[in-house]
Amino acid sequence: MNKQMIIAGLKARPVRTTVSILAVALEVTLILVVVGLTAGISNETGKRTEGVGADILLQPPNSSLFLALSNTTMPVTIADKVRALPGIKSVSPVQTLVNSSAGLEIIYGIDPDTFNAISDGFIWHKGGLFKNANEVVVDDIYAKAKNVTVGDTVELVNHEFKVSGVVEHGKGARLFVSLKTAQDMTGQNGKASLFFVRLNDPDRVEAGIAGIKQLLQGYNVIPLKEYAKLMMSNSMPALDAFITTVVFVALCIGVLVIFLSMYTTITERTREIGILRSLGASKRFIVTLIFQESAAVCLFGVVIGIASSFVLAQGVQVVFPTLTVLITSHWIARASLFAILSGIIGSLYPSLKAAKQDPVEALAYE
Amino acid sequence: MKNLLETLELRKSYTAGKVQVEALRGVNLRIREGELVAIMGPSGCGKSTLMHILGAMTKPTSGQVVIDGHAIAGMNDNALTGIRREKIGFVFQKFNLLPTLTAHGNIQIARYIHGGRGDGQDQHLTEVLQLLMIEDKMGRKPSELSGGEQQRVAIARAVANKPAILLADEPTGSLDSKNSEIVLNMFRELNRRFKQTIILVTHNPELVAITDRLIEMRDGVIVTDNDPVSWDTESEMAIRRR
Repeated sequence: MNKQMIIAGLKARPVRTTVSILAVALEVTLILVVVGLTAGISNETGKRTEGVGADILLQPPNSSLFLALSNTTMPVTIADKVRALPGIKSVSPVQTLVNSSAGLEIIYGIDPDTFNAISDGFIWHKGGLFKNANEVVVDDIYAKAKNVTVGDTVELVNHEFKVSGVVEHGKGARLFVSLKTAQDMTGQNGKASLFFVRLNDPDRVEAGIAGIKQLLQGYNVIPLKEYAKLMMSNSMPALDAFITTVVFVALCIGVLVIFLSMYTTITERTREIGILRSLGASKRFIVTLIFQESAAVCLFGVVIGIASSFVLAQGVQVVFPTLTVLITSHWIARASLFAILSGIIGSLYPSLKAAKQDPVEALAYE
Repeated sequence: MKNLLETLELRKSYTAGKVQVEALRGVNLRIREGELVAIMGPSGCGKSTLMHILGAMTKPTSGQVVIDGHAIAGMNDNALTGIRREKIGFVFQKFNLLPTLTAHGNIQIARYIHGGRGDGQDQHLTEVLQLLMIEDKMGRKPSELSGGEQQRVAIARAVANKPAILLADEPTGSLDSKNSEIVLNMFRELNRRFKQTIILVTHNPELVAITDRLIEMRDGVIVTDNDPVSWDTESEMAIRRR
């Protein structure tokens, strides 16, 4: 019977019901897409970095896990010292650049010989390696996103580069220039912002890390297999704060919309509440009825929100192929929970107000 | 016949703006089981206030009300709600049907609140619907029914749970004379066939013709009662002790 009343109540005010459902859907979509985008980019960057094929990532002291955000560098000559350690197969210096003219793109300045030794070489789709300072290698996803191919010109960090080759994605960055070019562009001659280290025996990562740490005290030395995990938002205090803010804003939207919707519903239905009270409906009955109506709105909103998040995620990947939206079941559950929570909080006061109404006064309400 | 409803020295005062209004000034009343009673009086005489108190919708300022053995004056809101649910059926002047539900839904919600599943129909309800001639209107919403039909649905809703007392506040106040006559006859039939105790609050003199007993009120007190139930000291003391 409650179900009938709830459905009838929602159908009686179709515009408000639709707007409320869409607001909850927006709340869920906002959470899933923003968190998904953040997690997707972090995760994809992490996996791409893992894809280099190294066993260890070596960075200067106080550097960021976000490779693009590290300003600190170290002398390339360190590579020789590390290479001399037992169990080390190869070391490749990389100077990172950030191109922010169209989004945020990391460019690897690489030494092709050592980088190939670490990564077992690029898989070439077209063209070949850069031969001079004005050439760049791009990955297939970048080429598709920017609609460029070998011979085309791209502008990166206020410099014009000619695309010399297109490679399979998954080797750290989407753009590669020579180490010398990157050093010149950053004014860090003879420096590198990170080293990729490959071991003779990949199962002896801990020993390798211990050796490097003994040699270079204070430096950041992490197993590359853990990099993607570390790049996930819950390991990043700044990202965590950002996501918390997004979730809070989304929750506020949900609470306010449900509150407004339920409050106006209660005001409009004062007489109906008086009728129910005159029939002997308890305060708990009224509160439950309003909570159930609010829950129904939230439920529809959650379903639409999840569906639209997946549609939006697909849309993002079509329009921006370099971006990844990672919608996990964990966050679907959390977003749904937040939506239901906003429904409960938003309908709490209206439901209590409704339940407290004097039946005689409520029946006299016009 | 047992006394189903008793009031003793019932008083109710409230503040309207800055004015203190004494709506009831000591009402003593006894209603027997199965009676069809009309309470009449001019506007503002306190009859609606009396009905709200008898229906456990509001509390008296002082005095006692006993409904089917339950003294309700000192009850809290939950207990009063329980009395309304278990003992009282209301019929209002403005029908007060839930506009979003069908006639069937309006009746079933009352049954659901009363504790039933709200999806069945027993023999009693079938007979009531037959008596009120609204069996074929059950799928319609209030907006699709005439005033007379809406009031008959409201009556069916009020008696669906077999309440001890049916209270009707100006039940023909919003109806034309033809529908008023139909509705009044149905009250008469409900009383005759199901021994339903009915209290009609009205200032419609035609309504008096169908009732067993007429109580007239003026200025918050009962001024005439054509079939009063006698008060003995023992029962009065019993009520006072509650």
